[in-house]
Amino acid sequence: MNVPWDRYQSDLLAALLKTLEYTILGFLGAVLLGLLLALMRRSTTRVVRLPAAVYTELFKNVPLLAIIFITYFGLGSTGVRLSALAAGSLSLVIFYAAYLSEIFRSALGGVPAGQQEGAQALGMSRLRAFGQVILPQALRLALPGTSTMLVDLLKSTSLLVTIAAGELMSQAQLISSETFRAMEVYLVIAAIYFAVCYPLSQLLLLLERKVQAGTPLAPGRRRRMAKAKALLQAGAGA
Amino acid sequence: MTTLIEVRSLSKSFGAATVLHSVDVDVRAGEILTILGQSGGGKSTLLRCINLLEVPSGGDVTIGGEPVVADGRVVVKDLARLRQRVGMVFQRFNLFPHLTAIENVILAQTKAAGISEDEAIENAVRLIRRVGLAHRALAFPDQMSGGEQQRVAIARALALHPMALLFDEPTSALDPESTREVLKVMRELAEGGMTMVIVTHEVPFARQISDQVVFVDAGYIVEQGPPEMVIGAPREARTRSFLSASGAA
Repeated sequence: MNVPWDRYQSDLLAALLKTLEYTILGFLGAVLLGLLLALMRRSTTRVVRLPAAVYTELFKNVPLLAIIFITYFGLGSTGVRLSALAAGSLSLVIFYAAYLSEIFRSALGGVPAGQQEGAQALGMSRLRAFGQVILPQALRLALPGTSTMLVDLLKSTSLLVTIAAGELMSQAQLISSETFRAMEVYLVIAAIYFAVCYPLSQLLLLLERKVQAGTPLAPGRRRRMAKAKALLQAGAGA
Repeated sequence: MTTLIEVRSLSKSFGAATVLHSVDVDVRAGEILTILGQSGGGKSTLLRCINLLEVPSGGDVTIGGEPVVADGRVVVKDLARLRQRVGMVFQRFNLFPHLTAIENVILAQTKAAGISEDEAIENAVRLIRRVGLAHRALAFPDQMSGGEQQRVAIARALALHPMALLFDEPTSALDPESTREVLKVMRELAEGGMTMVIVTHEVPFARQISDQVVFVDAGYIVEQGPPEMVIGAPREARTRSFLSASGAA
């Protein structure tokens, strides 16, 4: 008997959405925490720098699966019961923030010191200089590494099968145990991961290329450039 | 003419090293003051103490009648406004590489000076034309020659309507052709009455353009006066040896 895939269609769709939900929650959280950690590590104050360094070294050197078990089963055994969604997302955030903080730290360090001075000399506040001058350049430097991490994170959501998180791999396990067609089921699931991850990687590469080429992507920037262009051309004929 | 920039007994130390010893300088409105001297002699530090990229260790700085540093303490209330009134052009341009030339000129207008976007764009287009770069306005800094980048940097500083401009070795990183382009723009600014303080190694240019020349060595002002005196007929041995080493005496 073949696997009755049409019967599992809606379950698979729900599982795929769950996978994407974990990916988005995990990634957003990891980016925010990673950025915070990177900024802390660039601080001149030791008491700010040190905890961030300890955090990064700690979670870079512990397997994600161990973090998932600790947040779900470990905390559960001490009475702090997190849902699979909370424990799963939290684990992804904790783990990937450590890696992203390293990427962000090196990207921030890659922006030349003269940029800060250039912005300051124009009367920008520290915050403005960071937001308008330093961060946009750092993000460009961080983009390739960050893209890789996003795709990696999406694939790592499959580890959440161990806490029955309802994502793709959990669904695969369920179908497999109902149909006893492990090879077919897991091949299909692998193909679904590929069908999501490959276009995502390509899209991120395209984004990288556009950003590298300086293509204005933000609507405000496009408007500004169009207006400047129009004014320049108007004057060229005069 | 009124005194725009007044520096009194200014000193600056980095740790144990004193790089400026009780320096006095006056720059009147519309005047061009050039600072000459060996590398490492304190020229750039003096310039950077005026817009507080360096915080002086002692002395007073007054700009447009407003105390900025008093007795070695920063007293200026609105540092951002000070820096918009006294623009700066750097040796390495420090353009923002993620933005086009025209956006470099727009950014601080809208994000620091509170100028409306439409006005800022018009302003930027006018200034990019003024430095002769209308055809390069949509290029990114890394697509431009050093001379073009420096002219964009000048337009960027001018966009905030400064009452004075500080130039920190604006042509030291440039080839001769680019140097000529930049010096031409600076001459035009001078003719337009802009107050400028220029740290440079271009002695012939300094002699032509300056109203006042200051020769700085080892953190002291060795000689100060009109260019025909300081460059044409230097009294001090140190000035003479510097000028002959520059091939200008």
